[in-house]
Amino acid sequence: MSNFVNMELFSNYQKYIDNEQELRENIRIVVREIEHLAKEAQIKLQVIHSDLSQISGACGLARKQVEACAEKYKKLADLVPPGQYYRYSDHWTYITQRLIFIIALVIYLEAGFLVTRETVAEMLGLKTNHADGFHLDVEDYLLGILQLASELSRFATNSVTMGDYERPLNISHFIGDLNTGFRLLNLKNDGLRKRFDALKYDVKKIEEVVYDVSIRGLSSKEKEAQDEPAVPASE
Amino acid sequence: MPKNQSGGQRNGGPKRRQPAVALDEDNPIILAFTKYSNELTQKHDRHERIVKLSRDITIESKRIIFLLHSIDSRKQNKEKVLEEARQRLNKLIEVNFRAVALELRDQDVYQFRAAYSPGLQEFIEAYTYMEYLCSEDSQNEVKCVSDWQALQAVMQYVEDEPPKPKDEDGNEVDTALSTPAEESLKKFQFFVDPTEYVLGLSDLTGELMRRCINSLGSGDTDACMETCKALQHFYKGYISLNCQRARELWRKITTMRQSVLKAENVCYNVKVRGGEAAKWGATFDQKPADDVDEGFY
Repeated sequence: MSNFVNMELFSNYQKYIDNEQELRENIRIVVREIEHLAKEAQIKLQVIHSDLSQISGACGLARKQVEACAEKYKKLADLVPPGQYYRYSDHWTYITQRLIFIIALVIYLEAGFLVTRETVAEMLGLKTNHADGFHLDVEDYLLGILQLASELSRFATNSVTMGDYERPLNISHFIGDLNTGFRLLNLKNDGLRKRFDALKYDVKKIEEVVYDVSIRGLSSKEKEAQDEPAVPASE
Repeated sequence: MPKNQSGGQRNGGPKRRQPAVALDEDNPIILAFTKYSNELTQKHDRHERIVKLSRDITIESKRIIFLLHSIDSRKQNKEKVLEEARQRLNKLIEVNFRAVALELRDQDVYQFRAAYSPGLQEFIEAYTYMEYLCSEDSQNEVKCVSDWQALQAVMQYVEDEPPKPKDEDGNEVDTALSTPAEESLKKFQFFVDPTEYVLGLSDLTGELMRRCINSLGSGDTDACMETCKALQHFYKGYISLNCQRARELWRKITTMRQSVLKAENVCYNVKVRGGEAAKWGATFDQKPADDVDEGFY
């Protein structure tokens, strides 16, 4: 009777989880390298909050880090067996979101528009469709963009401190559009929803800054263009 | 306010100030988000559909387990019940799991694991319990419990056309693999994840414990001893696993230990009190209604 329990089953399963553990270990090593690169990029970008003249330089440095990350993602893509992205994705979702944020911030600072998911994927050397292989998850992208909103609300405050009164208006339009975009999404009661709920505080913060600037007549554009929205140039 | 300065550079930024006014169809952000929205909705819908299918599987599996517990050595209904259970389990495989497999075709099965995992685990519990009860009877050659490869082999489906050979080593074969075009794929399967299997199998021990106690009630002391022995083997197997990350498995092993202890206690009572306990239990159990079996023991 006791033969019903097949002990081989357990040793087989042990082998199976040992293999999985080993792969996870290898993934973790690569992810740690990406984390390191991303951290540096993020630190480089902190300068935007204290010195507006160094923005383009910081963007260039951050871009280099992103390029280095793309190499690492290639390594990751080789490690993960096809069709098993979501089996291991918990290792890299966090850092991928962080990188999406960094890329989005760089693009916004350089060109003033929202980077698309396709462009982010391209910069990181990822696919956009899961069927094509190692890809950029749409939720990760959206979560990264929400991080951008928080950073920009901080940036709006600091640019006023540094005497740039036009920038908050620009940021305000941008975040307004973002907010509209996010409202189009059918969100489930999940992490993305929770994070999206925090977007309104970023919007509020920026609106306060814009209000302060306008009411004191600090913004020249605001004075000049009462009926058409002012869009100051980025750097 | 006076308009004093002109010449503010514009570089074609956003067109509206208030986001809530109306949807601007030309706005690149809105366009992009419409696309993301579709993708998210599709994913959520698929997830919901699989959850529904999984719920059906869970319910039916629970009913089958309940049915299997109605096996009573006094009623001599084992054959009949087993046959019915086998049919219903087959129907689950052929209909319900096929539907889930269809949803998961060309998808990353791990993405929707949370959606189908409860149904799969419950099914594995029912399936292996059926196998256990079958194995009780065959005296000469005892069949082992199916492992995940065996189960995987059962959950192969074919489209209407004749199947073409595909790799089938059970382990890492994936429905999403190597088949880009839908029409080229004639054969598909429901991917049985070994971890899900092991978790589902661990629930079987709870059923074995119940069977052990019920057998005491119906006076079948041999069954008590046997189930207890099987339980001990399972427990031995499970604690041999070295699992650091698997919190869920650890929790199930803790529950399993309780089941083993209960079953062992039953066996202890059988041994100490001998036949009395069983006899007493047997008469007590059928006191009012079952007069046919009166004095059978």
